[in-house]
Amino acid sequence: MKPEINRRDLFKLGIASAAILATGKAIGSSALAGTVDFVEGGKDFSPETGAERKMIPSACWNCVTRDSMIGFVEDGRLVKLEGHPNSIRGKGKICAKGAAGINQLYDPDRILYPMKRAGKRGEGKWKRISWDEALTDLAGRLKKLRDEGHPEKFMFHYGRMKASSSKIIKSVFLASYGTKTIGNHTSICEGAKWTGQELTWGKHYDNWDFDNTKMVVNFGSNCLEAHTNSIPVSQRLIDAVVDRKVKLFTFDVRISNTAAKSTEWVPVKPGTDRAVVLAMCKVIMDAGLYDKDFFNFIKATKNRKESTDAKIAALKKHLATFTPEWAEKISGVPAAKIKSIALEFAKTKPACVISYRGAVAHHHGADTERAVQMLAAITGNIDNPGGRCRGVGAKWKYPKGPKEKPKAKALKITHGFKGDIAYPTHGANHQVMKMIKDGKAGRPEIYMWYCYTPVYSHGEVQENIDVLKDESLIPFTVCVNAYYDESAALADLILPNPSYLEWWDWEDMVSPTQVPEYYIRQPFVKPLGESRDFKDVVCELADRMGFPLGFNSAEEFVKMSCEKTPVVKAAGGFEYMKKHGVYHDPNAKPKYYMYKKEVKTDDLKKEGVIFDTAAGVYWNWKKSKAKSEAEAKEKGYTKTKNAYKGYVGQEIEGKVYAGFKPDKVNKSGYFELYSELLEMKNFPALPSFTPIPSHEKMGPDDLILTSYKVAVHIHSRSANCKWLTEICHDNPAKINTKTARRLGIKSGDKIKIKSEIGEITTTADVTEGVVPGIVAISHHLGHWEYGRYASGNKVPMAGNDDPDLKLKTWSTHGVHPNWIMANKPDPISGQWAMLDNVVKVTRA
Amino acid sequence: MNQTEMDENRTAAKHRSNIYGMLALVYRQEMTSDLLKHVKDPRFLGVLNDLETEKTEEIDAFFQKPESELLEDLAVEYTRLFLGPGKHISPHESVHHQRDDGQWGKLWGASTAEVKKLIESTGLTYSENFKGLPDHIAVELEFMQQLTLREELAWMDADMDAAVSCRQAEKNFIEEHLIPWIPDFCEKVIQQAELPFYRVLAALTHSFIEFERRR
Repeated sequence: MKPEINRRDLFKLGIASAAILATGKAIGSSALAGTVDFVEGGKDFSPETGAERKMIPSACWNCVTRDSMIGFVEDGRLVKLEGHPNSIRGKGKICAKGAAGINQLYDPDRILYPMKRAGKRGEGKWKRISWDEALTDLAGRLKKLRDEGHPEKFMFHYGRMKASSSKIIKSVFLASYGTKTIGNHTSICEGAKWTGQELTWGKHYDNWDFDNTKMVVNFGSNCLEAHTNSIPVSQRLIDAVVDRKVKLFTFDVRISNTAAKSTEWVPVKPGTDRAVVLAMCKVIMDAGLYDKDFFNFIKATKNRKESTDAKIAALKKHLATFTPEWAEKISGVPAAKIKSIALEFAKTKPACVISYRGAVAHHHGADTERAVQMLAAITGNIDNPGGRCRGVGAKWKYPKGPKEKPKAKALKITHGFKGDIAYPTHGANHQVMKMIKDGKAGRPEIYMWYCYTPVYSHGEVQENIDVLKDESLIPFTVCVNAYYDESAALADLILPNPSYLEWWDWEDMVSPTQVPEYYIRQPFVKPLGESRDFKDVVCELADRMGFPLGFNSAEEFVKMSCEKTPVVKAAGGFEYMKKHGVYHDPNAKPKYYMYKKEVKTDDLKKEGVIFDTAAGVYWNWKKSKAKSEAEAKEKGYTKTKNAYKGYVGQEIEGKVYAGFKPDKVNKSGYFELYSELLEMKNFPALPSFTPIPSHEKMGPDDLILTSYKVAVHIHSRSANCKWLTEICHDNPAKINTKTARRLGIKSGDKIKIKSEIGEITTTADVTEGVVPGIVAISHHLGHWEYGRYASGNKVPMAGNDDPDLKLKTWSTHGVHPNWIMANKPDPISGQWAMLDNVVKVTRA
Repeated sequence: MNQTEMDENRTAAKHRSNIYGMLALVYRQEMTSDLLKHVKDPRFLGVLNDLETEKTEEIDAFFQKPESELLEDLAVEYTRLFLGPGKHISPHESVHHQRDDGQWGKLWGASTAEVKKLIESTGLTYSENFKGLPDHIAVELEFMQQLTLREELAWMDADMDAAVSCRQAEKNFIEEHLIPWIPDFCEKVIQQAELPFYRVLAALTHSFIEFERRR
């Protein structure tokens, strides 16, 4: 007989059972040990396959956002990547590019062994060699240059190298070696934006506080698809727009998905955003809608001691000619639209103005960023909740390597031709091949590149190929890569790097909440084949050359950094980070208004600190290049080399503030709208309008070539990801309906696009989604190497066939616009003015 | 959820945990002297009587026997019912759980693997001393004991997330692993038992699992 148990019975039976259990220990041991803990996790198994599964926290690397993520490893194989739910940055999300990282790990065309060129450079003949052979050769060549006193003839050129990767390779290894001939990729990205910011508020990187904002005006940022902090800010922007009904106005030459999700897409002619911004500033100043208090921190005139009223008057006078009607003629944006957005922006508190490559990758792009900074500053939307804030990231402490480092030398080939660029604070490395060809500033004997593709990423692709291929110009080329791309094909030696899913890092990308997040990248699986993390390789190279770095691997470096960084150590150090992947101080307050902090009197009395009356800056002359205090005083803060390194504080009306601390140039601690540094180089001191020279000379049938990124591809290194390339494997040229009609072009027509550099052939896509007068071709595609998914070509010594190859339905691989783009720099910042190219488009 | 409700949930989890623990103990091995003392305790027998699992007189009479005789009889019964040799009622899920994929009716089957992985996924491990199969009824009941114990802790800490996770895991395990075989198993024991103790125990187990399903 089976009784019915009710809740009352449960209690009675429970109590009776407890009495029996109390003696349970005496009656034989339990079957199970431990306690149930879902949060800490035990073994995990896939519900689909039943395979044993491990969840490992790590970080993405498929764009500079570097989202925290979690990977699922089943029976030793990485099967899925997801966002890390405990990350305050990514809030549990990653993008398609991040999810497709698995394709990179298991790319059948991956390079798994060191390879040495067998035939002529670029011929495609290779020989597999051992690591010992590869490093004996390389260390021998490097040591020779170093011993001869020419470490600068080793040029190292990187694309993505951040956080601990940058510290290990650049700050420790290359610094200990002694070369400063180090190239980056910032000029092909957003160098003008950074220079513009360094000239105004000192540091670079602006965080957009979408969590707290009430209105957003966007100049040329496609942040919902391709921003440098994409996942953290894009979801917050969407939340703002959808949940809080925040208005978003996007000025762009193309209806990007960001523009499409905006309250309004405001089409603007290429390179004319600055005219609109200046007109908006004029409207706001004339209407008296400026934030008077913030003007206390603004430098708007040559004499920093001017009253706020005088600053306001000077700014109004400067802006007088930049009327909305004037801006309409230049930009195509109706004057009434400019006025209404300007007034709404000024009246909505707080509001956030954002900008990116669309606005700045132009001649004088840095001045566009300065104008955008001005718009934010006059409306008091700087470093405030809901506004445009200086980015906050994790501050790791780390081992610095050998104490004694040689005085590093550099070939002057990374910052553009002499006299061409005023403040190339982030280099002009798209011109490196051109400068090597020129040779006047010297040439490297060993040119090594890391997560970079000098052939594909710059404009004037043919010239890049010609230079890189020429052994008389560059005697030895070394590529560090997991993939055989267009540049790897021109290497003498290929060092097989793993994918980022197989290596260690600590990470520090800016947090959208103004609270720093500490996080790490750890391997999901061991490096495939004989691939070796280059960070580990430099440890061995240093050993071989006789200057051990003090750590033997990236893992050890990360571990040591966890112990050295107080906040991380307190949280539980390396073991905590391995287990949890992310850490932020739950009690930390968001960092706003940092410029208002007053400097302690003691700090002004420290040895070497002097006061510069003209700039109002307290600075430590000993940290500059001045040889004596007398020399420092005579030259003054603004004109002493590296004076900014000694910046202590800014005097404003008797108080000394932390102010807007400089980072790369000798600006004061004011928010500088008026830049003496630019004035010294014969540029307008206040943000102004300068027409783009090539656009001034355009004929009636000329178009402007523009480029953009799509949501599902990394700039140059994702076409091998089958999941992404399946989604996007073609990039026909977008032309506005009116323009196409005038040129007699229809959608699907084969067209030729010709610039002063060369010609490409592609297909037309006639659309209302771009402004008239332009032709828009996305980046990412048109690979002729990079494996079977990217180009249709297998690579030398490729792995076994991927069964998914049967599913490759596409035979188009797109075109690459860089073939016909000139490598011209913005004369202020060195930014590659990639969006200024004038072309003729005809039916092919 | 207010404090009173959380307290009620905590108390319920505690009682359920104890019941699962007691059942696991009784199925795990033959009756021992220590255990028998507690089973014979009027508090326990009183509950059984209240539940009317068996005729009160029969149970009372059964437990009147001398301890050594009782232990001997119960050991023989336990062996005959659950161990063999020969015809017996295997106390393992993989033998009884009729799965759609046909992977049942044997030891160390698909259900065994599933149960093992599931248990290990919660941070528990099989004790080195435990030599049985991973889906023994005592293990599955002990697993529920642990889950409900963790639930009780969660209510004590007012940790709603953990409490909800526990309840979800309990529900899944009851539905996917206990219900598909334990009621059938109990009915077989009730039919085959010769002594009232295991008949009562099986009836009680069946009732409790039904109660758990209804919750």
